[in-house]
Amino acid sequence: MLNEERIILMTKMASYEEGEGKKSMALGRYFRGDYISLQLLRAFFCSTIAYLLGFGLYVLYDFEILLEDIYKMDLFVFAQNIIKWYAIFVVGYCVITYAVCAYRYSRAKRSLKVYYHNLKKLDSLYRQ
Amino acid sequence: MSNLLEIREKLKLLYSRNEFILVPILKFMLAFLAICMVNGELGYMAKLDNLGLVLIVSLLCSFLPNGCIILFGAVFSLMHLYELSLEVAIAALAIYLIMFLLFFRMGSKDTVILIFTVVLLAMRIPYVIPVAVGLLATPLAAISVACGTVVYYMLTYISDNATTISSMGADEATAKLRMVIDSVLGNRAMIVMIVAFTVTIVAVYLIRRMSIDYSWSIAMVAGVIIDLVVLLVGDLVYDTNLSLGMAVLGSILALIIAKILEFFRFCVDYSRTEKVQYEDDEYYYYVKAVPKMSMPAVSKTVKRINTQRRPARMAEEDDDMTVAPRRVNRSVVTERTGSRDGHVRHPQNRAGSRSITISGESEGVEPEDFEDI
Repeated sequence: MLNEERIILMTKMASYEEGEGKKSMALGRYFRGDYISLQLLRAFFCSTIAYLLGFGLYVLYDFEILLEDIYKMDLFVFAQNIIKWYAIFVVGYCVITYAVCAYRYSRAKRSLKVYYHNLKKLDSLYRQ
Repeated sequence: MSNLLEIREKLKLLYSRNEFILVPILKFMLAFLAICMVNGELGYMAKLDNLGLVLIVSLLCSFLPNGCIILFGAVFSLMHLYELSLEVAIAALAIYLIMFLLFFRMGSKDTVILIFTVVLLAMRIPYVIPVAVGLLATPLAAISVACGTVVYYMLTYISDNATTISSMGADEATAKLRMVIDSVLGNRAMIVMIVAFTVTIVAVYLIRRMSIDYSWSIAMVAGVIIDLVVLLVGDLVYDTNLSLGMAVLGSILALIIAKILEFFRFCVDYSRTEKVQYEDDEYYYYVKAVPKMSMPAVSKTVKRINTQRRPARMAEEDDDMTVAPRRVNRSVVTERTGSRDGHVRHPQNRAGSRSITISGESEGVEPEDFEDI
């Protein structure tokens, strides 16, 4: 005999598993700290590469002026400025990444909680 | 209204039944449109401006993830730019990479929004984007919209200045690079557009999430006004050459499209809003429940009841198992229809009217052969 309630529940869960659940389940395998640390590490590398690319474009943009001024400028101050802006850029990007990842993790955990609740409910329906 | 709701249900049913084929077709069309636009806007490499190649790539995109449309679009544009000038291609690649590493990595699921942004900007109807995105997505999608705007303005700038770039010699490599970078950092029209879109997306999102009646309608009207105001202020301050007539027309079009989106995504009946208040051990709950407008698609159920008293001759034939049984001679047709009184059906009377037709037909058998129902 078909149990309508069970079928509705299973359909909902299957739809979740195929869609949003895929990402949430992958995310749910991590502890919060591990997930955010991994994302911060990725953000660090991505922002470093992006900064290098941006710096490269900046150098090429002002290449002629830079070549003219290179013997006049204080290279130590120049390097200090580059590092200072790099630090600001990377820290700023990591802070944004932290906020986004923390939000995503909590949302995924919430949806997984509902999923596991449905799973328990399904189990109890089978036991009836 | 009930007819529209019926059509909506039919469309939903059609989509859910044919999703496996409709989604690839839509992806194919989007990829085809995007790549054709890249070819039309740039088109410096003759080998890429080939319909057969575009069709093959679009076909590939229809089965690959959405991100591949962007990837192929980027590859096509970079190859065109390489044909124009190596320096321009390098600068464009660097800008693409920066966008990917910093922004697009965060909102990678909004790839479709980025493609639509570029396509709609190229079609000169960009005002639809912020309202639609605010209604359907989250504020994070503003990143994809901004990336799409940057890509469009950069490619348009290069396309407009292609003659100048190609006339520059190899000794002016840095000047070429400077042109591309200026097209991104110094383009005030683009910056005003990004700011206007971002503010509109956030405003529309916040308003449509509010617990007020007609929140979606208010959000779309407010969004269009905010968008226009920011663009006008930007035009006054930075002289961006905004065409007011086009902006107003585009905004009206945006409202129409937003209304269609609302019909498909958020069609509710505020006249039947219920406000409930209750409590448990820990909280007081103030619940506002707004019922959705729905109209089940007309379904017809045909029941055929054979009540034929079999004549002796047929019984003998059946015993022999050589002749197939005769067809229907008397039938009860049950037809289930939706209500057509112009009112939206309430859940309790969703079953609709029901009509029963009893028809009789004989197929070489006399009426006495039937028993009474």
